Amino acid sequence: MHQFLSTYSDTIGMAPVSAITTIFGSFCVTFVIIICWGKLVEDFGPKGGMLCAAIIVGTFWVVNHKLPGFGINPEGIPHPDGGSKQFGLIYQGFKGAAPWVDMGTTIAIGLWCHGLFMGKRGERGALVRESLPRVLAQIVGGIVGGGLLGLVGWTGANLFGYK
Amino acid sequence: MNWKKHFSTFTGAAICGAACFAIWPEMWKSYGIMGGWLAATIIISIMWYMNHWLGVMENPPGKIWVDQGFAVSAAGIAWGVVRFDAVLAQALPTLICCAIGGVLAAGAAVAVKQVLPRYNGQADQKKP
Repeated sequence: MHQFLSTYSDTIGMAPVSAITTIFGSFCVTFVIIICWGKLVEDFGPKGGMLCAAIIVGTFWVVNHKLPGFGINPEGIPHPDGGSKQFGLIYQGFKGAAPWVDMGTTIAIGLWCHGLFMGKRGERGALVRESLPRVLAQIVGGIVGGGLLGLVGWTGANLFGYK
Repeated sequence: MNWKKHFSTFTGAAICGAACFAIWPEMWKSYGIMGGWLAATIIISIMWYMNHWLGVMENPPGKIWVDQGFAVSAAGIAWGVVRFDAVLAQALPTLICCAIGGVLAAGAAVAVKQVLPRYNGQADQKKP
């Protein structure tokens, strides 16, 4: 059992245990945000929302995305027995060589589905159709922002040993 | 007017995505766990204030909430692909697991809301 769960599987691109921790980590942060964020904003106004950024996103960043060691070690800390360890609940594919999957993904999908489930049964199709252009605008905006930011790696500058 | 709303969403998304991945890894590398926590505080607070409180991202009332998480997610993947030559398809397994977790949490939250006093209208209306 232990052997099966913790052995890297090519089919799913991660060890089965990583799939479990990823689903659990994304469940936790999404659930807390759906339940708490709206009510804290109701109670404290914009101050509540800015507080939420620290106490929900910050705290769950530690749960989901902390990496071993001091500083980013995408490959994880090599374990004495071989292999490497990731400590965050959300697994970064191919031992960190894959593009960064942020917990924003799960928060956005969770809130979107939550809106869908809260809609009345007959109106859900219209709700989805109305939201798709906004989702598309956000994803295109994210790609442009992230892509332009990624260009800083192309400047050829080699400060402080960065690659 | 409609394109201006989508342009507004687009702009907010680009700024939010770039801010997250410009600051977060550097804060983590400099200050460790506390740096990551602090990064969430300084980035997400002002980005939430701009995108969702002031409404730079379009979210009409009564419709599906489209969160800035979509922007952060897309930016993280695009940033990895452009900066580190990462392979796009390798993000898929984690993405799928995240989507499963999100859908499960949404379903659970809908169920839990039916028993929470603040959500089913049985809470004491008096504020302390």
